[in-house]
Amino acid sequence: MSSEHQDWLSAASDNKPLTKAQLDSLLTDTELQSTLERYHLIGATIRRETSGPLPVDFTAAVMAEIDAEPAYQLKTDRGLLQRVNASVAAAANGRWLQPVAQGAIAAGVALMAVFGVQQYQQQPEDMLSPQPLLQTQPIAGFATPVSLSQTTVSDRFAEQEQQAMLEQQKRLQALLNAHRQQVRVMEQAQQANHKAEANTGPEQNEQQ
Amino acid sequence: MMRFSGVCSAIVLVVFSTLAQAEQAGWALFDKVQSAVKQYNFDTSFVVLKGTNVDTYRWLHGRADGQEIEHLIPLDTSGVDILRRDALVYYLLTDRPAFVTRSHSIPELPALFFEPKENIQRLYNAVAGSSSVMSGRSAQLLRLTAKDASRYNYWLWLDDETGFPLRIDILSEQQNALERWLVTHMQISAEMPENLRSLMEAELPAPGDSVPRSAVASSHQLTWLPQGYTQVEEPANIPQLESSLLSYWLLSDGLHQVSVFVQQAQRLPTQAYRDGATTIYVQNANQLEVTVIGPVSIETARQLAAGVH
Repeated sequence: MSSEHQDWLSAASDNKPLTKAQLDSLLTDTELQSTLERYHLIGATIRRETSGPLPVDFTAAVMAEIDAEPAYQLKTDRGLLQRVNASVAAAANGRWLQPVAQGAIAAGVALMAVFGVQQYQQQPEDMLSPQPLLQTQPIAGFATPVSLSQTTVSDRFAEQEQQAMLEQQKRLQALLNAHRQQVRVMEQAQQANHKAEANTGPEQNEQQ
Repeated sequence: MMRFSGVCSAIVLVVFSTLAQAEQAGWALFDKVQSAVKQYNFDTSFVVLKGTNVDTYRWLHGRADGQEIEHLIPLDTSGVDILRRDALVYYLLTDRPAFVTRSHSIPELPALFFEPKENIQRLYNAVAGSSSVMSGRSAQLLRLTAKDASRYNYWLWLDDETGFPLRIDILSEQQNALERWLVTHMQISAEMPENLRSLMEAELPAPGDSVPRSAVASSHQLTWLPQGYTQVEEPANIPQLESSLLSYWLLSDGLHQVSVFVQQAQRLPTQAYRDGATTIYVQNANQLEVTVIGPVSIETARQLAAGVH
């Protein structure tokens, strides 16, 4: 019986596959496990390997190492909390800062830029009018010399156009910010309105 | 003959009752979404896709002892944090004092989640669509189709298990996606996220008394309103534009807001731009520049601008 065991255990130590029954018995029987470890040790010595086989109780060592690891905790919101605790005692829409601060705040809270918007009207034009073709051969047989002044004029024109475009984008951005700001304070404004209506409602109706 | 009409009326009845049922199922799903974003403790990230432009946000929400807290962090812009505690919204900026408004929801989040259902039922029909797999979860499609064709449609995908929204597409009348809101990560927990708990106790600035009323004396009139929209009476002041603004109106249908600005003409051509689902329409005529900004079609914006006299 015991020699039978030793046969397949010795085979297993040489990386031969185990049957399910053999594996089960190996997993339950600690004596067999230590025998296998011994076989591995013998094999390693014969092969003159410097490091010994994996010991049976290697899990305990790993667990001990994990316990020894320092614990890290990620705190994402420390920055915000510090900011909140540090300074902000007055709100920008409190009585003092009201006239100046609100516009600045609106710009500060502007989360998206208009520069990404697609221009609308150009698309159909592009599709309808064909792209100007580069004419490689002069029609009349002579190539006309390129005038220097002409290119600079068109360059200047392009620059001006770009300037106007930037100006326009800036103005649209300001309007978009104003719109977003209105949406932000709308509920508040409406609540205030309802209150005002409740207070002075009848008089207003009479006036109308 | 009697028999024929009987069969006909039976068919009509069956069709109508199934339609009504589908509508009811749709609104039931909608309820599920609205309660999910208000009741759960969650930590999610989402992106907003506008053409080639992508904005990324982290969104946390917690509810404990009858108190509600919500934190929205735009990850592309540094130094802005949006925090809501019950009915106060704080815009916390690094280099400026905080800005505080009174609101029951953060306006930077899709208004669809927070507006009362009756408001949305007035404008939209809800029909449950098919199921699909989205980021490894089974998702149910809910189509909100506008009753008035000029309004954009919403397609909303929600998580089958929790009802949490996973994706919203805003579609034009031609069913082109103009803007997409997409959850990239979602974690729902029984307990409130730890960092919200500390923010719940943090001392925050008190809100301002009230928003100053608009001082702009309207010298023009707006003669046309899109279906379902009403003018918001006395919109807030816009200090940074006061010098150039001739007239201003804010319109609302309960879910969307449209701004109409009137300024001196700038000798620029009439043009339309688009930022996701937001149309920016600039009209130059009669020495006036009318700018319409809002989630409306270009045709509606054009009619609005033409209605300014």
